[in-house]
Amino acid sequence: MPCCPHPEGWVARAQVWLGTLVEVALPSTDASDARFAAAFAQIAHAHHTMSAHDASSDLARIAREAHRATVPVDAGTYAVLQLAQQLFRESGGTFDVARAPLLARHGLLPPGAAGNTHDSGAHFGGMDALHLEPGLGVRATAPVALDLGGIAKGYAVDRAVDALRATGARAGLINAGGDLRVFGTDDWMPVRVRHPAAPAHALQLFEVRDAAVATSADYFRDGHRGLVDPRTRSLRSFSGSVTVVAPTCALADALTKIVALQPAESAAILARHGAHAFTICGEGPHSGPQRATACATTCGATTANLRLPLAAAA
Amino acid sequence: MMHDGWRILPLAALAVAPAYAAEYMTVEAAQRAAFPDASAFVPIPVNLSTEARAHLVEVAHPPGARDPRVWRAMSGGKTLGTFFADAVIGKQEYIGYALALDAAGRVLRLDVLEYRETHGWEIRNERWRSQFAGKSAADPVEVNRDIANISGATLSCRHVTDGVRRLLALNALLPAP
Repeated sequence: MPCCPHPEGWVARAQVWLGTLVEVALPSTDASDARFAAAFAQIAHAHHTMSAHDASSDLARIAREAHRATVPVDAGTYAVLQLAQQLFRESGGTFDVARAPLLARHGLLPPGAAGNTHDSGAHFGGMDALHLEPGLGVRATAPVALDLGGIAKGYAVDRAVDALRATGARAGLINAGGDLRVFGTDDWMPVRVRHPAAPAHALQLFEVRDAAVATSADYFRDGHRGLVDPRTRSLRSFSGSVTVVAPTCALADALTKIVALQPAESAAILARHGAHAFTICGEGPHSGPQRATACATTCGATTANLRLPLAAAA
Repeated sequence: MMHDGWRILPLAALAVAPAYAAEYMTVEAAQRAAFPDASAFVPIPVNLSTEARAHLVEVAHPPGARDPRVWRAMSGGKTLGTFFADAVIGKQEYIGYALALDAAGRVLRLDVLEYRETHGWEIRNERWRSQFAGKSAADPVEVNRDIANISGATLSCRHVTDGVRRLLALNALLPAP
């Protein structure tokens, strides 16, 4: 989870949405209750429409009805599904939001999520079964159980940034449990990323301005260590963390999963989206006085909104 | 193993930073944000019987649960709602939060006042981890679902949810406005 100190003279507010702590920060000259409320309203809207755990959400209705009739969905849900379809194709199936039954089987999502009462993935269609129709409709050729956990948080952050801009805010920062985006600052903002094996420690890997950052890791998931690879339908070992810097937070969020599962092939997809990735691996201080160790690698597009430490840029 | 396009970041350039802590709002600011029209916030003492306390524990028992501070938001002689300042303490974090209910007891807003990671995270985390050893998808999934999420803040949010459930139950036990 990347997190950043607020710039001097900024005001931050936080609420609980999307299963995490969502923080909105504005320069004190721009901060107002109305602006904070506008940002949190967008986050709350994404929470209600894209939850996998809420029976009235768009996802639950798609799971129940889309294989029988076209389901009208929120414009945000539709936009997220469009991006998910695009990334599914570009990643050769690695990024797959129709993998919820698979996750449930691996114990990573509760049975019953997304209105899914089946306990096997066998009856479910994949992304190929999902069709986006004109006029914000979703149709499926087989029952589909979607989980937007790998992209919705980032999308919510993007919409909240739009809302802040629409109110005339010149600059702002939104951080939804580690998916963050900053806009309008002249100054470079250092971003800290939690050490995957020692989460109380954070590493400062880079600085950004007008950019989004997201991290995937399983900091707290001992016993279920790994990511599900939709292509092989198996649990892949994944003990480090992946951080992506991208123009939008939905992209950064989604690209972390693609990089984690196929680092060898990710250079091209990162470049296509003007994105940059970092991985961290290393050992935490398991017992005694040893210090945490870390190693880091980096890959991707060089963008004007990302600054690496001097030694790395050389 | 290094893949195409990847290069090693020299560690000399990495600095270890302290754990995260932030103060977002004072109680007074949260009161004003929730009830901008209030002319006064009147403190309400929380005097619970043993039976009432047992009931609250049954509803939800978030870590670190103590009696919250409670106010009635007043506008002249009219009660606008009830305001709670409470905290939940996880294995790794302390969260102070404020819950505002309207006069009918419905949630108006929930603000995080303060977030602080506690010290000794790694040591406590070993103990924390061991309590989930051997759990499978067949076990109650409430905890499982939270672990499956990626960020540290996720756990604390379950505790906040428990805290809110507890405050809603407490609100029903308070004397009518």
